[in-house]
Amino acid sequence: MVSLDAAEMTTRELNTRLKELAEAGSEVTVINPRAQHNIAVGILTSCKITIEGSVGYYSASLLDGPEVTINGNAGWALGENLMSGRISLSRSAGASVAASMRGGEVYIGGSAGARAGISMKGGTLLIRGDAGFLAGFMIQKGRIIVCGDVGDAVGDSMYEGTIYVGGSYGSLGNDAKVEEITEDELISVWGHLEENGISEKPRFTKIVSAKRLYHYDSLERLEKVVV
Amino acid sequence: MCGISGIMHKKSKANGLAPIGRDLVKMLDSLAHRGTDSTGFTVAGEAFAEDLILRIWTDGEDNEEGVLARVSEAIGRRGGVVGTSQAWGGFLRLTVNYEGEVAALAEALLDTDGVAIHSIGRSSETVKDVGTATEMDRTHSVSGIMGTHGIGHVRMATESIVDIGHAHPFWAYPFPDVTVVHNGQLTNYHSMKRKYEDSGHHFQTHNDSELIAVYLADKLAGGDTLDSALHASLSDLDGTFTYLVSTQNGMGYAKDRWSAKPLVLMETDDVVALASEEVALRSVFSDEIDRVEPQENEVKTWSV
Repeated sequence: MVSLDAAEMTTRELNTRLKELAEAGSEVTVINPRAQHNIAVGILTSCKITIEGSVGYYSASLLDGPEVTINGNAGWALGENLMSGRISLSRSAGASVAASMRGGEVYIGGSAGARAGISMKGGTLLIRGDAGFLAGFMIQKGRIIVCGDVGDAVGDSMYEGTIYVGGSYGSLGNDAKVEEITEDELISVWGHLEENGISEKPRFTKIVSAKRLYHYDSLERLEKVVV
Repeated sequence: MCGISGIMHKKSKANGLAPIGRDLVKMLDSLAHRGTDSTGFTVAGEAFAEDLILRIWTDGEDNEEGVLARVSEAIGRRGGVVGTSQAWGGFLRLTVNYEGEVAALAEALLDTDGVAIHSIGRSSETVKDVGTATEMDRTHSVSGIMGTHGIGHVRMATESIVDIGHAHPFWAYPFPDVTVVHNGQLTNYHSMKRKYEDSGHHFQTHNDSELIAVYLADKLAGGDTLDSALHASLSDLDGTFTYLVSTQNGMGYAKDRWSAKPLVLMETDDVVALASEEVALRSVFSDEIDRVEPQENEVKTWSV
């Protein structure tokens, strides 16, 4: 286990060291992040990173493989464009958490700000608390699970993907609709909660695209080849 | 982009003034990446005195003593008496014993050559300049200003020119002690500005954020509470905004319907602190004290 003190290096130096240590297979703990931006970005190998304290904007973004645990809060766009791996945040996330994520898992122990999971393209975003306005805005694939309440305009302009809301929601966004959730699906979502240490079993409301504004095919480039 | 910050020590009026200037310098310094064009502070509560505190920028004139003489004369004509006065680097700070309408005094000052009013207040004063928080602290000794609460701003200009006059906070001419810092862009600025000018309000700059200060002043003068004025602004102002307002004994924020501009809030029994980013809170407070992120259409006010 290697410990890096973020107070003693620039963010660029910190990220360079993190990449080197990840490639060498070392587990790393980062101390004194002091809510600085861009901590632990651009790491493309499997590794374990623990950050002791709050992080700022775009932290743990552009990742492919790492398992990042953050004991604190995060600013805007935590975990942007996650390809694979897992990000776990103990407290609350700012706006646009997991923006454009394509795979892997993001877990938020507290609540999330506006536009959670904006333009998601895969993977699972799990929020233990509440999520703000415009959750799942323009989601194209993947699932967002919010155990608590969600603000207005949930699922606005969503293409595909699913949003599960455990509590209440303010209003549905444009072209979003509620669909009946099957028992099997509910059990699968509860299973995901249990894997993340959540014992509650809310009766989730399932929100999907009504596809009245939907004029695009939803296949990835490689999927089209198969078809 | 811009960075905003505010802090209030809730019990400082009873228990002794807090280092508001010092904390705001630290918080704004840690937000320097959000704007380095200009920096400004309002600190309130140092002098709950009878006298008015005037902060004046001599509009680029290099003869600040000459401006001071003209200012003193204008104040005298309105029946005011200058108590203390300081002049440095084109800036003036005066205390004035004055019983009349502040609007009349402000008007007389604006008719004086080489005068831009940064603030007039009974408990608060506004210090603003081009450059960063650290640079400003060297020139204006902001760290030494004690108080009950204050707000600050680092600017990355988008809507109007970069100069001292267009730095935040904006004073709500002619309403004493009301100042505003704003992150965002107002899209109904011109139409609302014309409306206020037609009804006799005065604007000192071409910055859209000044409209918020004038808007709130007008609401408060009309009998609104700070809280109701902030709530009304959510539907009256178009565009994107998160703004903070400081008054003689109060502070508050309003956040637009799009939740487009950031804000984090930290509150204990003793302190409330607000900033565009958590990094500013962590420059003063430990990680142990959690923060929340206010959402769309949110308003909150505090008073000392």
